[in-house]
Amino acid sequence: MTKPLVVLENVQKLFDDFIAVKAIDLEIYEGEFLAIMGPSGCGKTTTLRMLAGLEEPTMGEIRMNDQVMNKVKPHERDTPLVWQSLALFPFLTVIENVEFGLKMRGINKLERKRRALEWLARLDILDFSDRDISTLSGGQKQRVALARSLVLEPKILLLDEPLSALDAHLVIRMQAVLVQLQRELGITFVYVTHSQSEAFAMADRVVIMGNGEIAQVGSPKDIYRSPQNQFVAEFVGRNNILSGTVSNLRKSGALIKTISGTFSVDLKTDSLTKGQEASFVISADLVHLSRSNPEAENSVHCKLISEEFIGSMVTLFLEDISNHEFKVQMQERELSKFDLNPGSDIWLSWSSKSAHLLTVN
Amino acid sequence: MNSNRILNIALAVYVGAIFLFVFAPILFSVVFSFNSQRFPTIPLGSFSTEWYVKILNDPDIWQAALNSLIVSSSTAVIATILGFCTAYSDFRYNFRFKGPYLALILLPPTIPLIIMALAMLAWLSKLGMSGQLWSIVLAHSVLTAPFAMAIIRLRLNQMDPELESASWNLGGSEWSTMRYVIIPFCKPAIISGLCLAAAVSFDEFAVSWFVSGLNKTLPVIILEIVQGNIDPQVNAIGTFVFLISMTLVILAQIFFVYRQMKSTPT
Amino acid sequence: MPTKKIREIDIYAMTWRLPIIIWQLLFFVGPVVFMIAMSFFLIKNYRMTEAFEFVNWSKMFSKSYFWDSYFYTVTIASISTILAMGLAFPASFALAFKASEKMRRWAIFLLIIPFFTSYLVRTFSWFVILSENGVVNALLGYIGLGPYTMLNTNFGTLVGYMTLTLPLVVILQTITMANIDKTLIEAARNLGCKPLSTIWRVIIPLSKTGLIVAAIFCFILSFGDFVAPFYLGGSQEPTLPILILDTTKSGQQWPRAAVVAIVMMVTLFAVAFTGIALAYRKKVSR
Repeated sequence: MTKPLVVLENVQKLFDDFIAVKAIDLEIYEGEFLAIMGPSGCGKTTTLRMLAGLEEPTMGEIRMNDQVMNKVKPHERDTPLVWQSLALFPFLTVIENVEFGLKMRGINKLERKRRALEWLARLDILDFSDRDISTLSGGQKQRVALARSLVLEPKILLLDEPLSALDAHLVIRMQAVLVQLQRELGITFVYVTHSQSEAFAMADRVVIMGNGEIAQVGSPKDIYRSPQNQFVAEFVGRNNILSGTVSNLRKSGALIKTISGTFSVDLKTDSLTKGQEASFVISADLVHLSRSNPEAENSVHCKLISEEFIGSMVTLFLEDISNHEFKVQMQERELSKFDLNPGSDIWLSWSSKSAHLLTVN
Repeated sequence: MNSNRILNIALAVYVGAIFLFVFAPILFSVVFSFNSQRFPTIPLGSFSTEWYVKILNDPDIWQAALNSLIVSSSTAVIATILGFCTAYSDFRYNFRFKGPYLALILLPPTIPLIIMALAMLAWLSKLGMSGQLWSIVLAHSVLTAPFAMAIIRLRLNQMDPELESASWNLGGSEWSTMRYVIIPFCKPAIISGLCLAAAVSFDEFAVSWFVSGLNKTLPVIILEIVQGNIDPQVNAIGTFVFLISMTLVILAQIFFVYRQMKSTPT
Repeated sequence: MPTKKIREIDIYAMTWRLPIIIWQLLFFVGPVVFMIAMSFFLIKNYRMTEAFEFVNWSKMFSKSYFWDSYFYTVTIASISTILAMGLAFPASFALAFKASEKMRRWAIFLLIIPFFTSYLVRTFSWFVILSENGVVNALLGYIGLGPYTMLNTNFGTLVGYMTLTLPLVVILQTITMANIDKTLIEAARNLGCKPLSTIWRVIIPLSKTGLIVAAIFCFILSFGDFVAPFYLGGSQEPTLPILILDTTKSGQQWPRAAVVAIVMMVTLFAVAFTGIALAYRKKVSR
């Protein structure tokens, strides 16, 4: 395990009347693309600002290379930030914007220009170097903002929802640019976003935050397949969450009795006791449909309520007798094999291997 | 013609009449400054520049003009500095007693000039600072600072609130940020504030009259002439004064509106 | 904005915050406070001596000319306000609702100019224009009217007040009315309100705050001006500002002038306070 570049230890941020960040611990490694994701108000932007020195932690320590950074002023750090509003200087040209950080470091005019031009070329906006900022498109401004930060050759780049103002098709393109840049440069990117697709598409590791706390940290696949708690299960992906009590324990798993029926869940550890409350998750894409009762271990009889189409994927929303909602996700062409309408009867089933136990809160 | 169109025409004529009323005295002054007759009335006399010749040859008037120039430019600088400091403090910081703090700079225009004139005269006399040109500057700076402050504060409203943070983030200290980011951004507003403060100071007569003693500014000279008999010289002086203050006000507006629009991101 | 817990003195912040405090205390608060104190001073042997006596106040308040002047000033300033607001309204209405945005901007641009340029010279122009053998009487003479005495009358004073206040009042009224929610006017029409009624029932209530502010400024300007009543009104009846002028310049009775000044400030403060309370009063729901 390599030594982390940045360590946040028991970091808390309290504003006048509310706690934005409630004691988080996080390690950030060199060369990784880390995404911090969560709903608005979860504390992700506050955390990023604390890394940049724009907010001071009320409690806890932030250490970079073993140096405690809490009291270090923003301009004394080397943590350039790509702002959500981009914050380009309107009274400077493109190249003057890019040179700004170098000017603050006292680097001479010729050298500044050389480095700035190099980065403008790298980000494909060399033609715009003498332009007024107001004449640029959204995507071009984005690149200027990136160049302005990267020209300082930092070890860590902070990004605060930088793609949120772009048109959808540009977002996809910029995502590819960012990922490629990060790989080429080998520096750490800390990327804050509320968009699941962005985080999962670009990051090596994802930090899910909710209510000022870290809910889970892991690779996109881990988080998607193995949500550890209810918050993550509800926030990420399309999951079916069932809650009940343990009615029986077996060698391979447990039987959990819920209002929708009793279901078996494979366990990796035997940490459950009979009568204990437990919740488990079945991802919507692991649920099978059948018109007739499949006589399987885990099955539920439902009525179809509605369908949601996004491109070639469709999500079905169903309800069982106890009015518990179920979601099933599948390809549209698979769905067309069934002839379903709202109100149709259908059977859902899944393997006990697909069910994933949630940590008891 | 329907009634709506009649109404619109009537309103247009009315607006014209208001503008005529407002600008008539200015036009009057300009027109009659070139009139040969001693008493300005119609029918007009012949075109003449004798009044201009007269005032240009009067050393008292030159001295007064110079005094006005010194006072208004000094006032403009001080007022704009004060206005900038206050506008920035209001923009960046939240602190206790911010209300009274802002009231401190914004109250002076609400107090009638004659009262300010009396108060300034008494106070500056007590401090032994009355009767000098810079006595007027001290008083005028208090009167004009609110205008400069309002202009610059409005400009700061147009700034991306993260611009300062962005500069720190890129390595600029607070002082460097002020020098390389805030002040350049506010430049049009600063120039506008300078022009407007200069214009107000240039025309101010009440406080100047009370406080200036023997160092008269142009408005004070005008006051003295006007208290005597009808002297057509006033039209000539007035035209000059109008030209200068109108130019300053127009410049102030141009910098406030046009230049700002150019350099503000959409 | 970063929230910094300032335990040490933030030199940077203080550099920007302090100058105005120091300057205004020295050259604004100082003079005003001194003037208030001065109203209690005495004149002994033609020299002003510091004291704390009420004689200036009792003397002033006992003089009938003071109270005559007070009521006259309040009256003429009120008339000026009503006149200016009334004269300005049709023009502001036209600029706010009938003119294009561009025309409106030009109109305001033009009106700002006279507001900031020599009130004194403009007053002198009116003096000449309105005099017995001035332009107005000459013009009227061509059609067989007049000559009318316009100077040294209340009419003259009011012309002067209009010169001072109209540009500002038009600007403030126009900006206020141009910024109200126009859909509310459309909604009123849609519900059957006649065009003229919408002015009274919709536009004015929506513009209430801005209009009251304009009126307050107009009153303050008229109340405090000495030029109009002095040069165009002939100080037939002296207003309070003229009283201050006389008492200071010719009488050298600064303490007495201070009394008048304080009475003026208290009156203006009361007017402004009432006005603002009216402007921001929320309707009590039943």
